[in-house]
Amino acid sequence: MDKPSHLSVILDLSPTQWALCAQSANPTGITLQTFLSQLLAFLNAHIACKDENTLAVFGAFPGQSGMLYSSTGEITSARTESTDANTYRPFRTLDSTLMTLIAERLESYDSTTEEAPIGLVGCLTKALCYINRAITTSSSSVTEIEGAVASVDPRILVLSVSPDQSSTYIPIMNSIFSAQKLKVTIDVCKIFGAENVFLQQAAHLTGGAYVQVERTDALLQYMMMSFLPPPAIRQLISVPTQDRVDFRAACFCHKRIVEIGFVCSVCLSIFCQPVPVCSTCRTKFPIKTLQRLRDARPLAAAAPPTKPLAPKNGTATPARPG
Amino acid sequence: MAPPAGRRIGDDFVDDSDSDVSITGLEDEPSRTKSKGKGKAIDRNKKDKGKAKAKEQPYAWEASYTRSWETVQEDEAGRLEGAVQDLIARGRRRRLLAPAAAIRRTIIRHLVLVLDLSSAMMDRDMRPTRFDLMLQYAREFVTEWFDQNPLGQIGVVGMRGGLGERIGEMSGNPQDVLKAISERHKLEPNGEPSLQNAIEMARSSMSHLPTHSSREITIIFGSLTTCDPGNIHDTLDECLKDRIRISIVALAAEMKICRDLCEKTGGQFGVAMNEGHFKDLLFELIPPPAQRAVARAGGPGANPAADLMIMGFPMRLPDTSPPSLCVCHSQMKSEGFLCPRCLAKVCDVPTDCDICGLMIVSSPHLARSYHHLFPVKPYAAVMSLEDTPDPSKRCHGCSVAFRDTPSTMFGAAGEGMSPLGRYRCPECHNDFCTDCDVFVHDVVHCCPGCGK
Ligand SMILES: [Zn+2]
Ligand SMILES: [Zn+2]
Ligand SMILES: [Zn+2]
Ligand SMILES: [Zn+2]
Ligand SMILES: [Zn+2]
Ligand SMILES: [Zn+2]
Repeated sequence: MDKPSHLSVILDLSPTQWALCAQSANPTGITLQTFLSQLLAFLNAHIACKDENTLAVFGAFPGQSGMLYSSTGEITSARTESTDANTYRPFRTLDSTLMTLIAERLESYDSTTEEAPIGLVGCLTKALCYINRAITTSSSSVTEIEGAVASVDPRILVLSVSPDQSSTYIPIMNSIFSAQKLKVTIDVCKIFGAENVFLQQAAHLTGGAYVQVERTDALLQYMMMSFLPPPAIRQLISVPTQDRVDFRAACFCHKRIVEIGFVCSVCLSIFCQPVPVCSTCRTKFPIKTLQRLRDARPLAAAAPPTKPLAPKNGTATPARPG
Repeated sequence: MAPPAGRRIGDDFVDDSDSDVSITGLEDEPSRTKSKGKGKAIDRNKKDKGKAKAKEQPYAWEASYTRSWETVQEDEAGRLEGAVQDLIARGRRRRLLAPAAAIRRTIIRHLVLVLDLSSAMMDRDMRPTRFDLMLQYAREFVTEWFDQNPLGQIGVVGMRGGLGERIGEMSGNPQDVLKAISERHKLEPNGEPSLQNAIEMARSSMSHLPTHSSREITIIFGSLTTCDPGNIHDTLDECLKDRIRISIVALAAEMKICRDLCEKTGGQFGVAMNEGHFKDLLFELIPPPAQRAVARAGGPGANPAADLMIMGFPMRLPDTSPPSLCVCHSQMKSEGFLCPRCLAKVCDVPTDCDICGLMIVSSPHLARSYHHLFPVKPYAAVMSLEDTPDPSKRCHGCSVAFRDTPSTMFGAAGEGMSPLGRYRCPECHNDFCTDCDVFVHDVVHCCPGCGK
């Protein structure tokens, strides 16, 4: 690890999902407290790896998002921290800032009203803005040194417990493409819940790892082994690769996740059923096509709207006759 | 040759390269741009871009640095700060003027770009050399092409030493293609070109493509000879059979075989008279062929090719999965894509499923163009904080602290710029810094505050 690396961590802090996760029996769940204590150990390990390593933590709360900690000092805890002779000071600052802010934010939620979806997109875009500025600043302060931009080696780690929000398909894809442009790796650690189609694509398209945690009691080990080494080192060690990538998209009309869609040839909008007029660009489609597609529809409709992921195995592929 | 609607040269990618060019000159005067606050931030941002560009272009003469002095002028005090602000301000104003919903018609295109890397390309009749100019235009061509054809794929083939040489595999990612043609020293011209070898190689790389997609070969040809192993007219017949369209931009003079190749396959042929004409001829090939036909007919409203297509989004298998036979080549392979309808395994997307005929595409390819459909609303420059009861102290995007006191602007250059360095989203009313304003609108295409 000769080059300093930047890590932006996005925490999924949906109270409902964490409550479900804590109650879950199969696989064994994990409480938010246990998760946070393991997370702090991981974050401390990251800043201990190298003095120049930088860290930013973003929290995705229901309907909100915000920065919780940054090693460049954008966020400071209001509480004056007591000095502890037995703790390395940066660890203490990180731990207390993070815990105070998370507690403050979570206490302000009303558990009686229905929970808004978490602000994952806000977190992703904020992390990208932060990294964009970090890259810009570092390259100008270390002027004329070749590769100053590359030395930041930025990556984003998403710790997710919530399911996909199909309404955020386009913003998430836009974030993925900008991450590609900034050469940011997006890693995903799915702690609880079903596979996340969009985050799988994010990890795949940016060259990151998508890890589905199977044993939550070993969460810290998962994180240390897979996400602590910066991308430059990953080629040398073997990081768990993605099993399979689901390239499904969300339709524009109902925000349903579809595997077979009807696509407008003008603007490439995706619809889950044949429509006479494109709702995005107002293009009228020929009647002939509509009839043809409606006739072909039973075939398409026969496929279930959401794909059962587990039983389909690549080995069962039919060989081409002849 | 403007397409019916909207965003074109001057937006996004192309604009990037434009501003890079105009900034390279600025880098030499850091002492004169004694700027503070915003000016500095912008300057830095631009310098950074300039540097990134400089890596792609190892030689100074590749950039047309002369142009920077047409755009940047010193103000009365002899400083450049005003000019830099002006550049940024112009970018902001351009965004404000851009149509809110620019939509462009697209079809699935596949193009093999054939570059002449024969010794004839070292000719200096075009500045600096035909070769350097070709590389520069090819890069601009690729960026603009992907911007207009997000579902398309480009492969690159070179002609040198009498052989066809695969330089870049078919790819839908502009970065891959640009990387393939970014290393000048690997493309050093030598020997004779071979049209037949290059066309055969291009043809074979397009054999798996779906029937809906167009197959095209665009050749930049600087030589006056071709050194072929067989009869090139046989190759021409094969191309006709495969419905491959060949277009040639010649840099030297017209050759009968070149004109034949283009005319028989329905492509375009042109001989570049000078640098500008070369670029025009090349960029004429960017709009999709159907669109060119529409534009020629003169009816921008009529869109005969608009259609609803049924597409499947596959599941990608990793290279660690147990090997199985693919339906396209009947080969044992681990990696591949599963057709969502019949679960057959195909090697590559986009393609038509060999079993059920469904067109299989990777959905990120479609999504790459969506930012054109739903652009971020321009942020309003905050002129003073008098109307804001409780102004945020930090940028909502990157959390950088805003400055408290307004900076002085230089003349008219500061028009459309906030003296406080604050730009407010009309939807969520959050404030953003200059860097984030540019970044959100030009790169992310999604507001961090409201996610729109
Ligand atoms: Zn729908
Ligand atoms: Zn449309
Ligand atoms: Zn195959
Ligand atoms: Zn199929
Ligand atoms: Zn900012
Ligand atoms: Zn907003």
